[in-house]
Amino acid sequence: MDPTEKLAPIRKGLLEFVILKIVAGDKVYVADMLKLLGPTEFATQEGTLYPLLSKLRREELVDYEWQESDAGPPRKYYKLTAKGRTQLSTLNDYWKNLNKTLADLGN
Amino acid sequence: MQKVINISLNGIAYQLEEPGYNLLSAYLERAESRLKDSPDRAEVTADLEQAIGEKCRAVLGPHKTVVSTAEVEKIIEEMGPVESADEKAAGASADSAAGGGSSQTFTPPPPRKRLYQIREGAMWSGVCNGIAAYLNVDVTWIRLAFVLLTIFSSGFWFIVYIVLMFVVPVATTPEDRAAAFGMPFNTEELISRAKKNFEEFGHTYRWRREWRRQQRHWNRQFKHMNEQIRMATAQAGPIAGNTARFFSGVLAPVAALIGAVIFVTWILAMFSLVTQHSIFGWYLPHGMPWWVGIIALVLIYSAISAPLRMMRHAGQQHANSHPAWGALHGLMWIGFTVLLFWAAYTFFPGVRELIDSLMWAANLTVSTISETIV
Repeated sequence: MDPTEKLAPIRKGLLEFVILKIVAGDKVYVADMLKLLGPTEFATQEGTLYPLLSKLRREELVDYEWQESDAGPPRKYYKLTAKGRTQLSTLNDYWKNLNKTLADLGN
Repeated sequence: MQKVINISLNGIAYQLEEPGYNLLSAYLERAESRLKDSPDRAEVTADLEQAIGEKCRAVLGPHKTVVSTAEVEKIIEEMGPVESADEKAAGASADSAAGGGSSQTFTPPPPRKRLYQIREGAMWSGVCNGIAAYLNVDVTWIRLAFVLLTIFSSGFWFIVYIVLMFVVPVATTPEDRAAAFGMPFNTEELISRAKKNFEEFGHTYRWRREWRRQQRHWNRQFKHMNEQIRMATAQAGPIAGNTARFFSGVLAPVAALIGAVIFVTWILAMFSLVTQHSIFGWYLPHGMPWWVGIIALVLIYSAISAPLRMMRHAGQQHANSHPAWGALHGLMWIGFTVLLFWAAYTFFPGVRELIDSLMWAANLTVSTISETIV
């Protein structure tokens, strides 16, 4: 077994944080998020991403707006809300602390 | 040639090949049942449909208007399994990851596959066809099992067929057919559905309705058959009429008879090989294990019956594939088979011995099983 698979649950748990980071930039479309994450450790699929985004919207951390597209029906573009921004900075700080703790352990 | 089904994904129409449609509807049904407890169900479903639609559009062009089955498979793989993002599910998955016990809440919902009667390509009512689709095996094996069980139970199994004919619903819509072929089955659902159907069968006089429906089905078949004969006689002059009459009039009974002879011989050869390790007294070449003989028999049987099957298909096409032909052929085939088994049993002592010893073995098995259960 690949030893990094032991951290798979952590990668899964981090996905929400990762998504918040992505939508913190410009407004994004889901297909573009998937393309962005594809080559990374956080590669994921529509089947996971759509339910997660709907949950984040229900928690008022992200919101979306409709934009016309040249090919087909209008698309949902996701962006961070003010509440999402506060949560993202909390998570960012927490993540930095975690990294620091990990780096300091055993030294 | 593939049948195409029109679907609407989030308000836009697409055309899918039928097997692809079956796959996609099974995928969406699974997604919905995964999201059953999620407040975002409607929204996520719409999002998923839109994403699937976009992927479909990507493979279509001005000279390609239908999404193929392989493309649907690829799209479903790209979409990935739908996972509810809710706290409860997340908690359960964390628990099960930590080795906790509450994995109960996280087991995937049972896949939806249902037992139906499938009239397309049915010999009689489609019960065997439906069971074959449900168990994902070739329909010939199911028919064989039914014929053998009927013979060994001295006809009792035929009543089981009649009961199934009334209890099992008929697949009428594409959705039914999708569910009939659907995802892997589980026994629990089969039993609970059978129970439910049986209860309804008991109290609501459903059997009367079913009987009437069955009669209507048979009436239609006979009407078709009569029309066929009338048409054949009306066009007595032209060659086309003669050919059609020749196929349905002469080839049907001949094909049924030859098919039944080969089938009965094959079954008896199998029995004799299993019980006495010889085919009617002819021993296999020295050193050849008997199971190689079984495989050889199966191959020989399929090789011999292949031209018959082709003839039957040709006949069906000639008769413009109306249901009477298949039903007629099936009835004659069953009749000849039973008759031949009876004749073999009556006139050949060797065959009688064989069948008696098999009956004895079957009885022993049944009594052992019932003792184990009780």
